[in-house]
Amino acid sequence: MPEETKHGANCTEFEALLTEAIEGRLTGAQKESFEAHRRTCGICGPLFAEVQAGREWLRSLEAVEPPTFLVHNILAATSGVVSTRVAAPGALGTTPRRERLREWWDSWFAPLNAFVRQPRFVMSFGMIFFSGSLALSAAGVKASDVAKVSLRPSSIRHAYTDAQIKVVKYYDNVRFVYEIESKVRELKRAATPAEPAPQEEKQNHKNDTSGQPQERQDRNYSREQGDTVLAGLNGSEVIPVRPVASDAGTADLRIQGCSQPAARGSRVVSNNRRFV
Amino acid sequence: MDEAQVIGLLVRRCVGGDAAAWEEIVQRFHRRIYNVCYRFAGDAENAQDLTQEVFIKMYRTLNTYDSGKGAFMTWVTTITRNLLVDHFRKTKSERLTDSLDGPASEHEDAQPLSDRIADQSRGPDEAAQSRETREMVHQALQKLSPELREAVILRDLQDMDYREIATALRVPEGTVKSRINRGRAELARLLQRTYRQVI
Repeated sequence: MPEETKHGANCTEFEALLTEAIEGRLTGAQKESFEAHRRTCGICGPLFAEVQAGREWLRSLEAVEPPTFLVHNILAATSGVVSTRVAAPGALGTTPRRERLREWWDSWFAPLNAFVRQPRFVMSFGMIFFSGSLALSAAGVKASDVAKVSLRPSSIRHAYTDAQIKVVKYYDNVRFVYEIESKVRELKRAATPAEPAPQEEKQNHKNDTSGQPQERQDRNYSREQGDTVLAGLNGSEVIPVRPVASDAGTADLRIQGCSQPAARGSRVVSNNRRFV
Repeated sequence: MDEAQVIGLLVRRCVGGDAAAWEEIVQRFHRRIYNVCYRFAGDAENAQDLTQEVFIKMYRTLNTYDSGKGAFMTWVTTITRNLLVDHFRKTKSERLTDSLDGPASEHEDAQPLSDRIADQSRGPDEAAQSRETREMVHQALQKLSPELREAVILRDLQDMDYREIATALRVPEGTVKSRINRGRAELARLLQRTYRQVI
C-alpha cells in the first residue's frame, strides 16, 4: 500500500487502526483522523468497505451443530468410557426416555444396518439361502413336512429313536460290505501262486540310450566299412604313414616302432586312435 | 470459582484418571472444536474426523498442559490449528480450486453455488440472513488461503481475542490483525465477484 498522507493519517496508520475502527473501538482525535482519511483516500476507503462487508458476511454464519454421536465416538476413541449424558451440556435428565432409547438403538444398530445394506452382503446371503434350499430339497425335506412335525416330548423321543435306528443300520450295512470285500481279497490272494522273487537289478548303464549291448555301442559312427584306420601313440610327434608297396590299391600300413606291417585290409585297434 | 479454575480442576482430575472429568471436558469443548474444523475443512465428515483427532491428541498430551502459560482454550486451539494445517497439507492435491459449480456440503441442499446466488427475488439484506447465503459464504471461506482462513475463523466465528489468536497461531498480534483484515476483504471481494458473474 503506498504511503499516502492525507488529513494527518497515512495509509499505513489507517491499516493499523482498521481493526479497532471496524470494531468501533476508536475514539477522539484518532477516530476523526481515521474517518477523514477513509473519506478522501481512493485505496483505503474501498478497503474499509470490503473489510466491513467481509466481517458482516462472516458474522452471518451460525454455529453448526455437531453430529449426535460425536461425543460418544470421542469417548470411545479416548477413554473408552461410554457417555452417560446427552450431547448438550447441562441437559442431563432432560432428554425424553424415548429419545435416549432411539440413540442407544442407533448406536448399536446403525453400523449393522449399514453393513447389511451392502450389495455384497445381500449377494452372499442370497447364495447361502439358495444353497440351503437346494440342500434341503436334495435331502427330501419339504416345508409341509416341517409343519406337520409334532413337538410333543413323546413324538420327539420317537423321532430320535427312529433316526438312531437308521444310523445304526446304515453303519452295520457298511461294515458288512467292508467285511465281504476283505474276505474276497484274502481268497484271491490265496488262489494266486506266489510271485517269483525280483531279479537282480540290471547294471546301471548311464549311456545306454539305445538298448544295444555295450560292445556294439563302441563303434565309430563316422567310419564306413573298409575305411582306412591309422593308429598313433600318445605324444606330440606325428606318426608318418607311408605305403609299403608301390602298386596302388595295395598299400599297407606300417606303424612306426613296429616291425610288422599291418596286414592288408586289417584294422588296427588302439586306445588312442586317430582317424583320417 | 471462575471458568479458568474450573477447567484447571477438570484437567487435574482428568490427568489423575477421572473419566468423568474427561467427559466433562469433551462436553464443554467438542461443539467449539467441531465448528472450527467444519469451517476450516469445509465438510461435516472431515470435521468429525478432525474433531475426534483433536480430542485424541488432547487426551494423550493433557498432562503437558500448563495453566501458567495460557488459557486452556488457547492450548486446545493450538492443537486444533496444528491438526488442521496437517490436514490441509495432506489434502492439498485432492482439493478442487474452484467450487462455484461444485456440490454443496451435506449441511445444505445439493444445489450449485451459482444456482443459489441466481435467486434474485430477495434483497441483499434479506439474503444475508438466508440459509443459502450462509452456505455461499461458507463456500467462499474455503477459497481463502489457510492463513487468512484460520485467522478470520478464530476472530469472527470463535470470538477469540487477538492475543489468544496470536498465541495459538504463533505469530505477532500485528500479523494477526493484518491477516484478519486481509481475510475479510478477500472474502468480500470473492462474494462480490461471484454476485457479478451470476447477475
